[in-house]
Amino acid sequence: MSVVVQPLPEVNPLQDPLRFSRRVPPCAIVIFGASGDLSKRKLLPSLYRLFYERRISPSFAVVGSSRTPMSDDEFRHRMADSVSKFLEDAPFDKEVWDSFAQCLFYVPGDLTNPDSYDDLRKKLDEIEKSHQTAGNVLFYLSTQPSHYAEAILELGAHGLNRGNGWRRVIIEKPFGHDLLSARKLNDEIHKVFLESDVYRIDHYLGKETVQNILAFRFGNGIFEPLWNRRYVDNVQITAAESIGVEGRGGYYQEAGALRDMIQNHLSQVMATVAMEPPTIFDATNVRDERAKLLRAVRVVKSEDVPKYAVAGQYGPAKVGGEDLPGFRQEPSVNPQAQTDTYAAVTFFIDNWRWADVPFYIRTGKRLPKRVTDIAIQFKAPPLGLFTQETKGGLRAARPNLLVLRIQPEEGISLRFLSKSPGSGMRVRPVSMDFNYGSSFGERTPTAYETLLVDAMSGDPTLYTRQDMVEASWQIVQPILDVWANTKFDFPNYAAGTWGPKASDEMLARQGHVWRIP
Amino acid sequence: MSSAVIFPAQPENILKGLGKLWTSLGQEEKQQGKPTVLRACAMTLIVATDEPDSGFAASQTISELMHAHPARGIVLAVSPDAEKSLEARVLAQCWKPFGKAQQICCEQIEITARPQSWPNVGPTLVGLTVADLPVIFWCRHKGALRQAATKEEHAGLEAITSLATKIVIDAHDMPASDTVTLIERWQARGRVIADLEWTRLTPWREPLAHLFDVCECKLSDFHSIDIEYTDERPSMAALYLAGWLSLYRPKVSFRRVGGYLPGVHRVTLHSDSKTIDFARTGPDSAVLHSASGRECTYNFGEPAVTALMTEELALMGVDPAFNAAFARVRELLPDTP
Ligand SMILES: NC(=O)c1ccc[n+]([C@@H]2O[C@H](COP(=O)([O-])OP(=O)(O)OC[C@H]3O[C@@H](n4cnc5c(N)ncnc54)[C@H](OP(=O)(O)O)[C@@H]3O)[C@@H](O)[C@H]2O)c1
Repeated sequence: MSVVVQPLPEVNPLQDPLRFSRRVPPCAIVIFGASGDLSKRKLLPSLYRLFYERRISPSFAVVGSSRTPMSDDEFRHRMADSVSKFLEDAPFDKEVWDSFAQCLFYVPGDLTNPDSYDDLRKKLDEIEKSHQTAGNVLFYLSTQPSHYAEAILELGAHGLNRGNGWRRVIIEKPFGHDLLSARKLNDEIHKVFLESDVYRIDHYLGKETVQNILAFRFGNGIFEPLWNRRYVDNVQITAAESIGVEGRGGYYQEAGALRDMIQNHLSQVMATVAMEPPTIFDATNVRDERAKLLRAVRVVKSEDVPKYAVAGQYGPAKVGGEDLPGFRQEPSVNPQAQTDTYAAVTFFIDNWRWADVPFYIRTGKRLPKRVTDIAIQFKAPPLGLFTQETKGGLRAARPNLLVLRIQPEEGISLRFLSKSPGSGMRVRPVSMDFNYGSSFGERTPTAYETLLVDAMSGDPTLYTRQDMVEASWQIVQPILDVWANTKFDFPNYAAGTWGPKASDEMLARQGHVWRIP
Repeated sequence: MSSAVIFPAQPENILKGLGKLWTSLGQEEKQQGKPTVLRACAMTLIVATDEPDSGFAASQTISELMHAHPARGIVLAVSPDAEKSLEARVLAQCWKPFGKAQQICCEQIEITARPQSWPNVGPTLVGLTVADLPVIFWCRHKGALRQAATKEEHAGLEAITSLATKIVIDAHDMPASDTVTLIERWQARGRVIADLEWTRLTPWREPLAHLFDVCECKLSDFHSIDIEYTDERPSMAALYLAGWLSLYRPKVSFRRVGGYLPGVHRVTLHSDSKTIDFARTGPDSAVLHSASGRECTYNFGEPAVTALMTEELALMGVDPAFNAAFARVRELLPDTP
């Protein structure tokens, strides 16, 4: 028998990943929806910042497109205003902007009009020569989700999915409206792009602190042995916002908290917290493990939905002397809206590591403060020796809590019991705190900076794959279906509180309480 | 904010001084009623210097480094003019990150010693390193690095190197043979060594390395390398560059030329049919001609020492590329002008 061994591609012996920054190839980025909110607040500020830090290739260009008629210069002026306004943690440098602006172009056009794509192609051909972008193009769909499929099919019909270099597409959230529409959208996309060229964005995965969960879990040896059903009592994931819908009531009314946060961001965070260690830290292995975890989440039966999921909607309240409107009083919201502005779900992961450990996820608008964190509540010691109430051997309250703070004040804290000073064996909880910002004084890149560089470099590790998206729709779909057919008695929580009573009751049934973040 | 002179400079006294300093920063917080100061520390950074400014430049650099690498900074200024044989002062380096209300503060200890007291500093430093975090020793004390160092300098240096996780030197104006002997000695004891002469090469190495990302260009095809330098002799940077590029043992030649900045001026790689050339074209620029004839301009001048140290402090462990280049430098040394 003879074995044919494929020669391995020659590794560059001069590469020095410890010191050299990752190389981002030349490319053009086409932003559909360039006049929109996301472009102004996130995409252009991130690209400018990357340019400022020379983290992108000098052979680079941005082509903005939307219906609003604008010249290249008008687009540049508008974007200068937005970037200077929305740049996070960094000053705006006029000189750098001027050279960045030379890389900005605009093609007005309606996505539903096939002629727009011819104009776009012409511009891309020009830029490929003038900016030496090597024919590489990254399309960024930052428009209404209802346009995603049409835009992609038109890109295919006009041959823009092929060229002298690579062609990739970034798709914003929401990816689909439910499981069926997500599957359909995947099918449409695959008519034009290979899965390996599709980058579904979930900006939570791009956050430094979410990436740090993997470093924390798999870079250290002491936590993983405790990271299982033997030691963990429950896990609580909270993503609270203190603001309301801020003028996006129309969009939010259609989405709701479960779709807007839990189906995508928070289920990916749960997957990051609970997944098995990958054998190699690369895109395929990390995403395989995330997908495997999501597939192991128990899909709740319709009749059990009221037991494991709670919907809420905020009503008006006076907070800090200010009158806050209820959701139904927000502009462009239906006064009878049945939208969930709060959602809490109990998930169970049916695998050996996590069987029977509840994962509680809650998210909501107009909660008391803006905070996103993950709390791992460890089990109590088997014998409570020290607390007054538990003297005589009853189980103590659960003292050990590990909190991974995503925002703000990114960091990690561990709560444990310590003896109070003085005579007698009185103990009290204390917290050991690690603050991400002060231990690494450097400015951390924003999620969009990280994700844009990854897409340009062809690294999809932090992007969601078809199977991950479908698995995460699968776990929320029964809840969405039941809620769609339920008439809720909304509003059921006042703005500025931690959500509806039913949510506390959901945890109480398992013998747990929500922590106050 | 800084304390009065602490004498005798025993660890206990210095730590008490630090404690007082934090207490006074805490009072400020109390008055304002909210947390205004965040204490940060990721390592102990010891800097020894014999510069005539009593450690002023070193302190200045440490305060700049703190932003990216918060540390307990310890500056040891060895000077025959020191008032007392050994004395210390503690201070806090604080800064406010852009857009944040809270200041981040790092502690700094300044120790002044007369040369004959230097060997006694070791025990003080042992008591001052932050527990369980890496200890980086940046030796700016030129005298101690010479082969002809005095007995005190030698003992003083040894006392600190034995504490260090990583030792950083700048061999720019040191004789190459001294540098090689020194690094070999420390490496034999399992220390991680960094030489800022190697760090200076990153802007040269990175564009060169990228040329070999594509398969059309194979390093093994290049059988000779010419390096032009501007110093009196090939600096360590020139030698490291040669060492790094000579994985496949090409013929290496060095030539002295006039140029814009000290150090490497040009590197040229030859194969049978192709040439790669990377040369300074001004104090802030260099042009790279790739094997396919493409020309690319890079803007880099002489890097500030803070930038070099920032790069080094980001790497705590072994640097395999440096070690490989250094091993080859030892082989090249006898043939160097
Ligand atoms: N904003 C955020 O913070 C945020 C966060 C996460 C995800 N997202 C997602 O990002 C996407 C964009 O959000 P957004 O907030 O930027 O929305 P937006 O402000 O409503 O912007 C939509 C953009 O699409 C363009 N557009 C609409 N119809 C078009 C058509 N027929 N042809 C061409 N262009 C058209 C609009 O420009 P013209 O009117 O000039 O055509 C505008 O530039 C959405 O999918 C959203 O879910 C947004």
